[in-house]
Formats: sequence, structure tokens, C-alpha cells
Amino acid sequence: MSDLDPETFDSRKYVEDFPKLQRAYKNAFETMNDAYDSELVHAIDQRVLNESEPLYEDGAFRIDLPENPHDRVTDAGVLVDEEKLSGTLDRYVDEIEAELRSVFDLDGE
Amino acid sequence: MAHKRPTGAATPRSGAEVQRSKTVRRQTVGMSTEAQDGDDLQDRITNFLRRNFPQIQMHGGSAAIQNLDRETGEVTIMLGGACSGCGISPMTIQAIKTRMVKEIPEIETVHADTGMDGGGGGDAGGMSPSFPSETTEDDGDAGADEGPQAPF
Repeated sequence: MSDLDPETFDSRKYVEDFPKLQRAYKNAFETMNDAYDSELVHAIDQRVLNESEPLYEDGAFRIDLPENPHDRVTDAGVLVDEEKLSGTLDRYVDEIEAELRSVFDLDGE
Repeated sequence: MAHKRPTGAATPRSGAEVQRSKTVRRQTVGMSTEAQDGDDLQDRITNFLRRNFPQIQMHGGSAAIQNLDRETGEVTIMLGGACSGCGISPMTIQAIKTRMVKEIPEIETVHADTGMDGGGGGDAGGMSPSFPSETTEDDGDAGADEGPQAPF
């Protein structure tokens, strides 16, 4: 059983655990960039995830996203329909959460 | 495309205006000895970034103070270079925002941008290379070399 808890994660995530977070986000980015439209993945990375917040709640990671991701991406000049964005973003978030579980050794718990 | 890197000149203004303004524009991290009017705050921000986020330069990125307003406590940090497409900038931005307001009391609000183009503002004002990759020269005793370790 992991000793990770929401408060500990929150207090450490941008300090001691920051390299883990970076690794998780970077791995997720690379996976997504290989599999999906690179321009869209970059736009999500730069325009949506830059306002995201990783949280650890109820024994699981969750990525809190900003509102209006579609506007954020299209404001960056990337034209994409809502459905495609939503699907890609969901997959991206799943990927980050999976990477977080992995770097925090929570896989299989 | 997402990351073009215009290397334009830094927002030219009249010299006197720049000197007098309380707003300091585009101070590149790592070159912290220009444009100072007793500018300790700017140095502290620069050192804060260099000390706490060595990953930026290790990844070929850069961090520059684009705008600093002492009166409102607002600072805008521009992340450039490889940062605009490396997948770690979102977390780096959040970490800078979260930690800087805690660790530098004068700072109330941090804006950070990777300069990705698009309507949102940040026009491509040009990205200066920064964080000269050879650590410190004169400014900073322990400041610049606290065990930076690239996580990957």
C-alpha cells in the first residue's frame, strides 16, 4: 500500500516530487505525440495542460483541467472539432494519469 | 505550427523610458545585471528560477522575465527554446506559479507563457536565449548550483 495521500502529494508535487511529475507529463506527451496529430498534441500541452493541476484523490490521480479547452486550442490557431479534441484530450489525460501511477509506483494497487 | 522561435529584438522603447519605468521588460535569466534600479527583486526572481528549475536549461529551454510590475507584484515569465514543445512545460509553469508566490513575498501573481502563437496574447515577442548553460559567473554563491538533476 502506498503511503501517498492527498495532502502529501499536494505539498510535495511542485517541490520534491516535481521531477516525477515532469517525467510523467513528458512520457505522456511523447506517447501522444507519436500516436496523434502532433500539432493538436502540442496545442493541448501548451494551452490546456499549462493550466491543469494534478491531484491525488480517493486513491487515484486526477487531472483538473481548465474550462473551455476547445477555445484555448483554437485560440492558438489549431482548428479542430470538439469531438476530436475531446477524444484526444481524454486519451491524453488517461495517459498522464497512467504515467503518474507508474512514476509513483502505484501500478497494480 | 506550434513552435517557431522568432528571435526578434526585445521590445524597443526609448531608452529613458525604459530606465525610468518601474516595469522591467525582458530580463533574461542568467544575465541579471542590466537595467537595474536597485533591482534586487529581479535578481531574486532570476535566481529563484535558476536554482529551482534547472531543468529548463537542461532541456535547452530558456526562462526570461518578460515583464515585472513591482507595484502590483505581477511578473510574466516567458519560457522559450525547447520549452515550448517538450511536454514538461505545463508542469513547469504550474510549479513556477505556485512556488514563486510562496517564496518571493513581493510577487502576487505569476503569468507564464511559452509563446505559442495564437490569439491569446503573447505575440511572438522574440525569445532570447538565456540561462547561459555554464552556470554562474559572479552572481550567486550557492544560488545557482544546487544539485540540478534532470529527471530524465
